Amino acid sequence: MKAFDDAGVDVYALSYDEPDALRDFRSAHKITYNLLSDPDSEVIRSFGILNTLIDQNDHPWYGIPYPGTYVIDTQGNITHKFFENNLAVRAGPEQLLRAALGQTSNETGAKAVPKDIPNAVQMKVALAGGALTPTVTKDLVISFVVPSGRHVYAQPAPEGSVAVDVVLDEDARLVQRPLVRPLATDHTLLGTGESFGVHDGEFELRLPLTLNSAAGKEPSLVVTGEARWQSCDDDVCDIPTTERFSIELATTRSPASAIGNQKGAALEPNAMAHFQRMKARRTKT
Amino acid sequence: MTNLETRATEVENGWQDHDGFVGPFRPGNGPRSDPAGEFPTGPAVGDRFPNVVSNTADGVAFNSQDHLGPRPVVFIFFRSAVW
Repeated sequence: MKAFDDAGVDVYALSYDEPDALRDFRSAHKITYNLLSDPDSEVIRSFGILNTLIDQNDHPWYGIPYPGTYVIDTQGNITHKFFENNLAVRAGPEQLLRAALGQTSNETGAKAVPKDIPNAVQMKVALAGGALTPTVTKDLVISFVVPSGRHVYAQPAPEGSVAVDVVLDEDARLVQRPLVRPLATDHTLLGTGESFGVHDGEFELRLPLTLNSAAGKEPSLVVTGEARWQSCDDDVCDIPTTERFSIELATTRSPASAIGNQKGAALEPNAMAHFQRMKARRTKT
Repeated sequence: MTNLETRATEVENGWQDHDGFVGPFRPGNGPRSDPAGEFPTGPAVGDRFPNVVSNTADGVAFNSQDHLGPRPVVFIFFRSAVW
């Protein structure tokens, strides 16, 4: 949460719990962001995100939302949404902070390693965030540096050419989401007038990854894959390049263990009493 | 909207959803009612964030229009703080 405070980003979290349940939750987990109570699910309904797969008589679950997160700019407009089909999966804090700040550059600290090859595109892979953990989505960031005067093809590439891309090797321990690409720059060939999208300078691709909860308990895993691109200047293109990569990523077993104090997994002391009251209230109505 | 049914397949080490995520419990009942395919996610990117009127954890009336604006906001809808 300190990272959000330092960055000047406010965080609100709303649920259908009563205020006293939220207070106990806040106290038990030392939560510093703002918790909001919507016990009749009025806000949840007004947003149209009530989980209607739960029967109205299915107490006490009825009333929960499809969980998700909105990022709102200083004008009050929604700039990003994060919703997942699987209730256990959610956007990682690095993704949310990056969205809130409207960042387009790499904040992982990953820098492409210079190569002793003239005009070579440089590529580097890093994880945005400390460790992979089940259910929390984090971005694998693939950073590129394209030498001055050159570009690589964006997607879709012209016929017969290769767009920059990243493909991970099959690994049942990981669940991938679609690759996030930066906006392409229009590029027009002087000779033919043909126009297509390119990337130049420094840019990055982001591959959202979630550690499968069925993954083993190893403290790390090695992610392997390859990046592909085709580099050109205004006159000629190199043959397509495929570069393999292998990166060892630390893992933690649960979001709670990622907190660091090992207390995050524990229910707060009054949780059962809150649950019984929640159940009774909904049964009565 | 295409499909709001919950789907899961039993696999060796749990239950696998349509995205390939394997969890220890079978989705499809109570709080584990996951939607498959498209599902409602509320107002769209680019829309104005609707006004939220509720109470804080301290029981104080909250109106989002009094709080949104000076800083970017991350607004989370979560399932429960109790279970």
